[in-house]
Amino acid sequence: MLRRIARLTTGRIALGILATVGLLAVFGPVLAPYDPLESGADILASPSWAHLLGTDYLGRDVLSRLLDGSRVSILGAVQVALIALVVGVVPGILSVYLGRPFEWLTLRLADTLVALPFLVFAVAVTALLGNGIPQAMFVVGIMVSPLFYRVARAATLSVARSQYVEAAIIAGASVGWVIRRHVWVKVLPPIAVALANTTGVGFVVVSSLTFLGIGVQPPAPTWGGVLAADLGYLSFQPWAPLVPTALIMATVWACNLLADAIRDVTGEAGRALLNTRTVRAGLSGAGREA
Amino acid sequence: MTRFLRATARVLGRSVAIFVPVFLVATFVTFALRALSGLSPANLQLGESATPEAVAAIEHQWGLDRPFLTQYADWFGDLLRGDLGTSWHNGAEISRLLAEGAVISLSVAGLALLIGVVFGFGFGVLAALRRTTWVDRAVTGVMTFISVMPSFVVGIALVGVLAVGLGWFPSAGYAPAERGFGVWLAHITLPAIALSFDTVSDVARQLRAGLVAAYRENYVTGAVVRGLGPHRIFFRHVLRNGIGPSLAVLGLKFPNLLGGAVVTEAIFGMPGFGQFAAGSAQRGDVPAVQGVLVVSVVLVVVFNLLVNLILARVAPASARGV
Repeated sequence: MLRRIARLTTGRIALGILATVGLLAVFGPVLAPYDPLESGADILASPSWAHLLGTDYLGRDVLSRLLDGSRVSILGAVQVALIALVVGVVPGILSVYLGRPFEWLTLRLADTLVALPFLVFAVAVTALLGNGIPQAMFVVGIMVSPLFYRVARAATLSVARSQYVEAAIIAGASVGWVIRRHVWVKVLPPIAVALANTTGVGFVVVSSLTFLGIGVQPPAPTWGGVLAADLGYLSFQPWAPLVPTALIMATVWACNLLADAIRDVTGEAGRALLNTRTVRAGLSGAGREA
Repeated sequence: MTRFLRATARVLGRSVAIFVPVFLVATFVTFALRALSGLSPANLQLGESATPEAVAAIEHQWGLDRPFLTQYADWFGDLLRGDLGTSWHNGAEISRLLAEGAVISLSVAGLALLIGVVFGFGFGVLAALRRTTWVDRAVTGVMTFISVMPSFVVGIALVGVLAVGLGWFPSAGYAPAERGFGVWLAHITLPAIALSFDTVSDVARQLRAGLVAAYRENYVTGAVVRGLGPHRIFFRHVLRNGIGPSLAVLGLKFPNLLGGAVVTEAIFGMPGFGQFAAGSAQRGDVPAVQGVLVVSVVLVVVFNLLVNLILARVAPASARGV
């Protein structure tokens, strides 16, 4: 599937950006030319060969801070997507098979989670249950999981009612076999789309929280944090916020592009995704298509 | 008319059947937060060096030494009477504190919603009417672009250009409506715009998709063949059938507009709901945080109820659960 995505121009751009960002997350802290926490004598310096992106109000190298902070932001986004995936998909598939009470219960839970303003919840829970991005992302992941629940459920429903599955069951296939053999294949493409979108959502949330300074201890660098610090010194360095902003937006955009590319490649469109779209649209400032 | 009333009653009935469990689950989770967090008013009032006896005395005073379910029943009972308890931080009535903040946040969210509806529907209709032309592509492109701009980025850009640069708007703070409508509007305009981008782009794209799909239906071709005018076709056939998903999106947007307040209020320095939530959470003031969560759940539920009613009126098929 990767190869088919890479054949699309949009897919190539998306994969390229995401690969770069992924490399930043892995090697960023190593590549950083300076210690991101070390203050220097040069305060608010303009870009130069010594400091490619200048220095901040404490004389810290901005490039190093961005490189070092990439890991927190990206891991956070990935964590949101993976938790939502695990929490959402399994009940989504099982809701079709485990009978009415389970179906009713999970549907109500999904409704509840969608109805909660998740940024408020993330802030509340982060502060109350321990100040950390992993805790916050755990909560956000759970609150985003209805997307996966509905996607998986919609796809499963469409398979479960198809004639070939009925035929398989008449021929004596077990539910487990049907899920492994037929449902799984059908559920995967929309899940891949949702995964790309949720990563984008997670990314916006991490950036928002770190921008507000929630979930991180002050000197630790994050993209949102660098942006917030730049804002205090706009009159000295009006261009400074552009760099972290561009990083954040490019990453979110790449996630959305990738989601579109997967959808184009797998031909996932139409009814099964109608629910997805509306739910996804309810999530945040990211995710969704033209 | 009676048919309309019956449909309304059915939508109300179904919505209540969905929202009551939502409310129960959400409030229970909210209440359980205190037990999970292990926080106590003693932390706030006595600090780190408190003796266990003093902590126990304070917890007794707040009734926190009673069984969990007893506390929950009490709390829930008070909640239904509109009493959200008192803040651990300063002993003030939480409902009163929240009301002050909610006025600000709802002003901003309301204006953002208005902007979202006007521009979202405007752009959506425009793109659909000029579908596959450059107008359509331009609108779609812009909508895609603004959808990846996080609200804090938009907020910063607006402050930088329109408030600090051009000086057209105040850069921060809130002025109550008593100080004049213009002053009030000037203070909430920028945060509302920052908050609305997401809604504008989603509503516009959803509406465009819905309308374009509706234009492809056979009954539209039929209407054209019968010689109906473009106006009549658009309003009677296309709009009513294509508007459903975008209204549903609007309903789901409301939690975001409330949640986004946490970010925009921090940027624009407004003492609203979101700032109250963030501040209380960082102080460890559990009852205040619970109050914020409960009120936001109620607001979201009420708003969705309204959207469902409008949806049932505009697109009768949705009332039958199609």
